[in-house]
Amino acid sequence: MVKTHIGLLCTTALVVVSFCGPFYLPGQALAQEKTARPEHPALLFRLGPRTPEQIAAFYEARGFPAAAIDALNQTCFITVSMRNKSNKVIWLELKNWRLIAASGEIQRLKRSYWQQLWSHLNVPQANRSTFGWTLLPETRDLQPSEPVGGNITLPPTTEPFTLEARFKTGREKRAGEIILRYDNVRCAGREAKQ
Amino acid sequence: MRAILLAGILLGAAMSNGLAAESLLPRGVMKQDGRPAPALRLKDMDGKLFDLAEARGRWVFVHFWASWCGPCRREMPTIQRLIATRGNLPLEVVLVNTAETEDAVFSFLGIAGPDLSTLLDPDGLVTEAWQPRGLPATFLVDPEGRIQYLALGVRTWDSQPYVEFLRRITEPTS
Repeated sequence: MVKTHIGLLCTTALVVVSFCGPFYLPGQALAQEKTARPEHPALLFRLGPRTPEQIAAFYEARGFPAAAIDALNQTCFITVSMRNKSNKVIWLELKNWRLIAASGEIQRLKRSYWQQLWSHLNVPQANRSTFGWTLLPETRDLQPSEPVGGNITLPPTTEPFTLEARFKTGREKRAGEIILRYDNVRCAGREAKQ
Repeated sequence: MRAILLAGILLGAAMSNGLAAESLLPRGVMKQDGRPAPALRLKDMDGKLFDLAEARGRWVFVHFWASWCGPCRREMPTIQRLIATRGNLPLEVVLVNTAETEDAVFSFLGIAGPDLSTLLDPDGLVTEAWQPRGLPATFLVDPEGRIQYLALGVRTWDSQPYVEFLRRITEPTS
C-alpha cells in the first residue's frame, strides 16, 4: 500500500489561482521535509476549487438556461486533474472517495442527481451532454500515461473538509492501493456569500 | 519431445511478435477489440452529410472534440498539420464537435484549425454512443468499419511516431 498525505495550502489565493498548492508529506519519514512536491510518484493529482462566478461564466457561455445557472450557483465545484505516471493501470472509482468534514461526511452530488435535475428543469439535451463531459467520470481504468479530468460537485459548505481518494492499481485491482488525503479543502468563493 | 520444443519455439515467436506489435504503438494509443463502430451520420458546417457506413474500404480517423476543452485546443493544430503533410496517406480524417453551436465551432476553428471542417453533433448523442473516454478522443476505424485503435487524450498527430504509425496501419497488405 502506498499512503500519501497531502495537505493543501489553500488560502484566499485559490479564488484566483486554478489550483491549491499541495504540500506533499509521504508518511512520517518526510514529514519534516519543507519542499512542496505536488505529485505522487505514480499519479499526478490536482484539485482546483471553482468559484460560483467561474462556473456561471463557463456554463452561461455554453448557452445554459438561467434556471440551470441558478442551480449551478448553489453547488460547490472542484476541478480534478489526474495523470497516470506509472506503468500499471490505476483505477479511478469515485465510490472510493470520501469528503470528510468535522460535522460529518459530505455526500457528493452524483450524475444521477444532475440527470434528474436537468429533466425537472427541461434543460436542453446539448447542455446536458456538455455538462456530463465536464464531470469527472465515476469510473475509469487509467492506462499508463492516460490523463483524466473533470469536476466533482457537492452541496456548498463553508466548512473545510478532507478529501480522501483511494485508487486500486493493477489490471485486476490487485497491485496495491494508493491513498491520497487532501486536508483543509474549501469550496471557493463561499466565504463571502454566506 | 521435439514436437514440444517446436511448439514452445513457435509460441515464443508468436508472443514476441505480439509484444513487438504492442511496442510499436506510439504513446497513448491503445489497441481495441475490433468491435463494429457505432453509427456516425452527421452534417458538417456546410450542411453536407457524412455517413461512416459509406466510408468502407478506407481507414477513418474519427476525432471527437469541443471548444471548451483545453486539450482540444492544443491538439487541433496537430491534426491540421497532419492533414496538410500526410501526402498520400490513405486515411480519411473526420472531426466531430460535441453539442455546440455553429457559432462556437466556427469561432474556435478559426483560431485552432482554420483549414479544418467538422461534423456537428448538436445534441451530443452520437458522441455518447461512441463512448469516448473523454474529450478529446480519437478512434481509428478500419476499412471494414471496426474500431481498431483508440488514442487517449492529446496526441501530436503530425509528429513522426504518429505519422509512421498511421502509415503502417493504413498500408495496403499484399
